Amino acid sequence: MAKTPSHREIFISGLWRDNPVLRQVLGICSTLAATNLMVNTLVMNAGLIFSLCMSSLTVSLLRNVTPMRTRMMVQVLIIASYVIMVDIAIKAYLPEISEALGPYVGLIITNCIIMGRCEAFARNNPPLASLVDGLAVGLGYALVLIAIALIREPLGFGTLLGFKVMPPGFTPWTIMVMAPGAFFALGALTWLIRSLFPQTTGLAEGGR
Amino acid sequence: MKSRLLSVGFMFLLTLCFTAMVSAVKVANQDRIQRNQELKLERIILKVLRFGTGRVSDRELSELFKTRIRKKEVEGRTLYLGLEADGRTLKGIAFPVGGPGFWGPIQGMVGLDREGLTVVGLAFYSHSETPGLGGRLTEDWFQNQFAGLKLPAGKEAGPIFELIPSGRTKKPGQLDAITGATMTSKAVERFLNRELAFFRDKLRPQAGEG
Amino acid sequence: MEQLGLGTLFFAAIFTNNILLTNFLGLCPFLAISRDKKSALGLGAAVVFVMACTTALNHLVYHLLLVPLDLVHFRFIIFIVVIAAFVQLVELVVERFFTPLYYVLGIFLPLITVNCAILGASLFMIIRGYSLFQAVAYGAGSGIGWMLAIIAVGAIREKLQKTAKLPQSLEGPAITLLITGMMSLAFMAFSGMIQIQ
Repeated sequence: MAKTPSHREIFISGLWRDNPVLRQVLGICSTLAATNLMVNTLVMNAGLIFSLCMSSLTVSLLRNVTPMRTRMMVQVLIIASYVIMVDIAIKAYLPEISEALGPYVGLIITNCIIMGRCEAFARNNPPLASLVDGLAVGLGYALVLIAIALIREPLGFGTLLGFKVMPPGFTPWTIMVMAPGAFFALGALTWLIRSLFPQTTGLAEGGR
Repeated sequence: MKSRLLSVGFMFLLTLCFTAMVSAVKVANQDRIQRNQELKLERIILKVLRFGTGRVSDRELSELFKTRIRKKEVEGRTLYLGLEADGRTLKGIAFPVGGPGFWGPIQGMVGLDREGLTVVGLAFYSHSETPGLGGRLTEDWFQNQFAGLKLPAGKEAGPIFELIPSGRTKKPGQLDAITGATMTSKAVERFLNRELAFFRDKLRPQAGEG
Repeated sequence: MEQLGLGTLFFAAIFTNNILLTNFLGLCPFLAISRDKKSALGLGAAVVFVMACTTALNHLVYHLLLVPLDLVHFRFIIFIVVIAAFVQLVELVVERFFTPLYYVLGIFLPLITVNCAILGASLFMIIRGYSLFQAVAYGAGSGIGWMLAIIAVGAIREKLQKTAKLPQSLEGPAITLLITGMMSLAFMAFSGMIQIQ
């Protein structure tokens, strides 16, 4: 059993060195759809970070009493419960955004990141460390998605958070708010980061 | 055997725990969610009747709705009669429209003037069309084109409006379809014409009274 | 949703509203697996089967169980349970009765349970109010669309591997995403293809 790394190490690792999206390309499914508007991205990511932190914490708290064979089901139950609570909360307090996000909030449950962190970390580490890990990974993930939204919304709508940021006379690149735009933005971003910060990672490519 | 029993027991307990938590959250927020739905409908009705409620607070909106809108059931459909400031003169009539889109049902609200013969506003508030393509039916440019659309009095054969590809010269009654979303455009054309005709023939005669 | 014919829905789910290229679902395994044609085919076939069946199952569960009992907000977890249980069942059956098939497909089945596309298909099906048959057509079509996307991108990557020398930073996820973007763009062109009468 490896020694639990310090909180600081955990934080930096999740946020940057082993950034879930840029290094491991995980869990982009559900949130990529929201990146055409910055406000949607922020809400989605807040929901994800909450679910991730709470799930990691809970899984860690229960790690010594959870029977081996029920491990997966327990994780799914915990994650799903928190995500449903987030979904209800968004529906209640941010109805327009809830409509724009549609089923994607619920799909946070299947987001490989949450399941991955529970399985890889929270299961074997104390609660506070797991919370820090969840927070770090969540923030690292959020940063990347915010970066994508920073590309998509201004170019595609000419606005950022609803405020016009492009010079008048700018014709919006509508393609950026449609599906291909998201792929191009993320692909370009990944390329950029990898060329600026090359790193021989010990992780299998795209593998969990 | 014992371990299996323990597993089942654990799962059961946990499920109970979390189900309770989720249910609690749901119940606590139920009223709020309900209220949001109502507000959404109210906002859209006021919008299509051109009450100018763009940046109005929720409370003011509800106030406005209570004093200036009256519901009326006609032929099994709910009409929303908009009243002028005096609270009596008819300003306009809004009625909900709906029909199958390409990917799922589309719902909207049409606002007409007090004669019920000219459209003053139109808004779609629920759909499942492809984002960026059919989904553009909620964009202002598409919805605003319906303002000024006249419902020809008397039952003439032929559709009340047509959606044709943009760029072609247009006769009155011809509006821009959504480029690249032929299916959604056709679906909207079909059900909206039907709804408007239904309003003109069945609902309008009874709307003004009372 | 009477209007939409099963055939149209089926083809549209594959091309114009492709669950991966338009709705962004099912990307995780996509990026990892799409390199090898044989596994792509295996995974794709499994996904089609599971998707078609679970959309139907979830449709029944939703309309016969959740709605009458006002448990609609639990649909997320119920659907996942149904999917997980179904996949377990399939794994058991395949392992027992079609053992050679198991060695090709079987390993992918656990992976499928958390494939966002499977859950997503069920959720979309509910939102759009499909009938049972429409749900199956949609589920099957979405699955095939997903498989098509995987195979197409995988094939391009394989070809690229052989003919071009990519800079290191571009290799792997970056180029796959860019290719997927172009594929998504290409699929948008299909939107004019399908005509309703």
